[in-house]
Amino acid sequence: MNREELFNIAQEWFQEQHWKPFKFQKDTWKAFLQGKNGLLNAPTGSGKTYALWFPIVLNYMKQNPEYRTKHKKGLKAVWITPLRALSQEIKQSAERVTADLGTQMTVGIRSGDTSTKERARQKKQMPDLLITTPESLQLLLATKGYDKIFKDCSAIVVDEWHEILGTKRGVQMELALSRLKGISKELRIWGISATIGNLEQAREVLLGPGTNAFDNSILIKANINKKITVKSIIPKKMETFPWRGHLGLHLLEDVVPIINHSTTTLLFTNTRSQCEIWFQKILEKHPEYAGEMAMHHGSINKETRVWVENAIRNEDLKAVVCTSSLDLGVDFAPVETVVQIGGPKGVARFLQRAGRSGHRPGKESVIYFLPTHAIELIEASALQKAVKLNSVEDRLPYLNSYDVLLQYLTTLAISNGFYPKEIYREIKETFCFQAITEEKWQWLLNFLVMGSQSLQSYDEYKKVEVEEDGKFTVTNKGVAMRHRFQIGTIVGDANLAVKYQKGGYIGSVEEFFISKLNRGDVFTFAGRNLEFIRIKDMTVQVRNSNKKTNKITSWMGSRLTLSAQMSELLREELYSSSEPKEKQSKEIRALAPLFERQRRESIVPRPNEFLIESFKTREGYTHIFYPFEGRFVHEAMGSLLGYRISLLTPITFSLAFNDYGFELLSDQPIDIQQVLDNDLFSTDYMLDDLQKSLNATEMARRKFRDVAIISGMVFTGYPKKNIKMKHLQSNSQLLFDVFRDYEPENLLYQQAFTETFEHQLEEGRLRLSLERIATQNIIWKQCDKATPFSFPLITERMNREKLSSEKLEDRIKKMAALLMKK
Amino acid sequence: MAHPIQIRDQSFKMHFSGTLFWEERSMLLVSDVHLGKVSHFRKYGAAVPQAAVQKNFDMMDESIAYFKPKTLIFMGDLFHSSLNREWEIFENWVQEKTLDIILVSGNHDILSPLKYKAIGINVVEEMVLGSFLLTHHPMERDGLFNFSGHIHPAIKLSGLGRQTVKLPCFYKTEHQMILPAFGEFTGTFTLEPCNGCEVYALLGDAVLPVPIKEVKKKRRRSK
Repeated sequence: MNREELFNIAQEWFQEQHWKPFKFQKDTWKAFLQGKNGLLNAPTGSGKTYALWFPIVLNYMKQNPEYRTKHKKGLKAVWITPLRALSQEIKQSAERVTADLGTQMTVGIRSGDTSTKERARQKKQMPDLLITTPESLQLLLATKGYDKIFKDCSAIVVDEWHEILGTKRGVQMELALSRLKGISKELRIWGISATIGNLEQAREVLLGPGTNAFDNSILIKANINKKITVKSIIPKKMETFPWRGHLGLHLLEDVVPIINHSTTTLLFTNTRSQCEIWFQKILEKHPEYAGEMAMHHGSINKETRVWVENAIRNEDLKAVVCTSSLDLGVDFAPVETVVQIGGPKGVARFLQRAGRSGHRPGKESVIYFLPTHAIELIEASALQKAVKLNSVEDRLPYLNSYDVLLQYLTTLAISNGFYPKEIYREIKETFCFQAITEEKWQWLLNFLVMGSQSLQSYDEYKKVEVEEDGKFTVTNKGVAMRHRFQIGTIVGDANLAVKYQKGGYIGSVEEFFISKLNRGDVFTFAGRNLEFIRIKDMTVQVRNSNKKTNKITSWMGSRLTLSAQMSELLREELYSSSEPKEKQSKEIRALAPLFERQRRESIVPRPNEFLIESFKTREGYTHIFYPFEGRFVHEAMGSLLGYRISLLTPITFSLAFNDYGFELLSDQPIDIQQVLDNDLFSTDYMLDDLQKSLNATEMARRKFRDVAIISGMVFTGYPKKNIKMKHLQSNSQLLFDVFRDYEPENLLYQQAFTETFEHQLEEGRLRLSLERIATQNIIWKQCDKATPFSFPLITERMNREKLSSEKLEDRIKKMAALLMKK
Repeated sequence: MAHPIQIRDQSFKMHFSGTLFWEERSMLLVSDVHLGKVSHFRKYGAAVPQAAVQKNFDMMDESIAYFKPKTLIFMGDLFHSSLNREWEIFENWVQEKTLDIILVSGNHDILSPLKYKAIGINVVEEMVLGSFLLTHHPMERDGLFNFSGHIHPAIKLSGLGRQTVKLPCFYKTEHQMILPAFGEFTGTFTLEPCNGCEVYALLGDAVLPVPIKEVKKKRRRSK
């Protein structure tokens, strides 16, 4: 069959459905059948699955003309999805194509939810089309004889590549692809991505810079323009706007008419605990919604989540309070309206959420923005602009993630074994490891085999061994088994299952939350009031309770930061407050009383001004800086400045930061004039100073936890099994200290710092904002009391960091252990 | 270096390394060394730096050189796990010593007492010396003052400007003193101060009595 005949088959199928294929779909079919690789830029719900399932099936038909009567077994294509919840839907669309076109192709799913029986069956005979996750793909590479499984594979499709790209799962994907390119000669690699700032780079990361695969590739854009309308919910009385709480509950009644006016409304919150609280409060005030409202977040059990998703599709629900757990995938046609509670912090995320409504080609999307405190209204105004300009962020890919590489090498060692020469060539072609040197590579190999760089006496280190012909393998069954359990790059906090005493899984909570509870305490979780009974075998046993409670489950999960794009728009909106009223957005106009008060106590900075405020509270001397650059940059700038000030005089700070600025709090006043005279905002020696600030070490310590777990240095125990592995579970903090004291040159220890600078402190952005501040006039205001701008910051109790140049002994002399009076 | 303390008319000295010296009896108490832990992890494929092994021995030597005790008492959790080659290092270290060594066994001490006996170390469940009771787990027994380990105690200090710092410590109540964990790579558990207790923090090169301040409840920043 030639290409035209194949195309006709596809076109006919579309006609039968009374559909017309989009141009991007036809372009993708053509490119695929020409043997090209590529990246397809298309939003959810645009028919992207048919853009790729079709050519995969058509290609099979082309190579097997007797496809109707004969079935050539074996794996033909792999579809990677970051969320296993999406796999069912992808399977259905694949089955439609394979069946309607009259092939005998089979479709299967392999993920963490797949039963052992099904997995064993697949091992014997793989389905033709396999839907799986990045982790499960790695597990396939950990299977003996994986090369035979993938030998005839014609395509790998990585769905939602924009979600995977900026994470270590992306590195994991790059490595798996580098291996599969070497095994299956006919392989085409395709990614599907929503719109991000760096689409071209996304393609390069997927295919490998400078590789043949990249040269033979194409970027296809769906160009589906969707009309998005943003409406801010502006409080009627600005004076009564609360300064604390940051949950937005005071605007609850404004949400009710929105819910009543549409079929289904999704309310997006930024954290799981905020989600729990909103759900509970709406029901409390409006019991009439009972049965018509649900909650959806990542820690609720899977059955409930699936039930909620189905109920949305069947139009059974008026409203769902959710978190990013509903950001991705799954088509929810009945969703008419979306409400975003609190700043979404990024344009891409906001657009994605807006796109959840009017989820049909051509339909308008409506999203309401509900600010949780006054200054977030400025954010709302900035978002309006961002949507108009469609200014979407980049997703920054990881570089030199040695932890993921070590995990990958161990994976290869436990299956077929590997020869370093061959694998070095392959990984050198990935984006992540394009700059790796022979020296570093040798370091990693030594680390795998000896656990250090030279043989040591009295050492019994055991992991990977080298056979006589130079092949690296794992012979120890225990090592192999522990490694299989550990494959993956998503590291969560220690999670405990929450179950009723009589059985029945409700969800999971973090250890830190439960550790604060005593027997008999009642807490809210998954929309229920539960009484804590005890912890047994990593399970929290509970029973239902009728008691009221204000203890709501909380999670430590990292907070989002304002993107560079959003920060810039935010500053522009802020500056507009000094413009004539006609030039202001209605959000800015609504904030007039707040700006007025800010001007009374201090100033509202203009484009050429940088504001610093100082005032004294009961807790000490507060100094607030307002770069408006997002919390990550503020954390970095705060540490940097704190460190530089501490060089002038022995002093100790605690550092707090949010998206608008940062606070340096001390038991002594800082002379800001001295800071300015000494040019402490300079970019000279920036990296060096950052490295020396104690804060960077503390941050690296936290990053190190992930690095230690991913690289296999810390064993987290067997999931869902009560095998006691305590004797092997060490605290990564302890490990960090040991490395600091004995092996600071260790690549993994170093990596924790690199990641801190590149991903946490956003070194690049920090430099740019320091350069910006250098061009501004610094206005230092000594205020009598806290100003409106400072309120969200000084009331924020999270994220306190310490910085000190005083001798420990001198610091401690001013301190005491606190004994709580009962 | 060391901080003196009188307990029931006897003189003791707390060393910055976490050891406790009993002057009248010339005894050095060392708790929770957890030898073999680093090697144990390495044996199972976790590459903890091996250099950390030697540190325990160097620190014990330093403390012994400082106090010159006649008897060395390990207060339990001497060896972290089942046998590994760190035992050989320990054996050699013991051979060089002329002092008496006793092990008050703890929950981690799963090696056979015969192994210890073979290198001249007596293993006991507990020791009663005058009105003092030495155990691994903290105990209360009428009329006796208890020295123990097991907890790996640490204390959190707070100051103005929301400053906090956490340090390993000796934790003393009326009839009890819990020793800090001596070993490298062992970790700590933060204890709350209590009425009438005394806390001595380890500063790295000194021991410091910690002032205890009674507060009503967690301070909240006023608006």
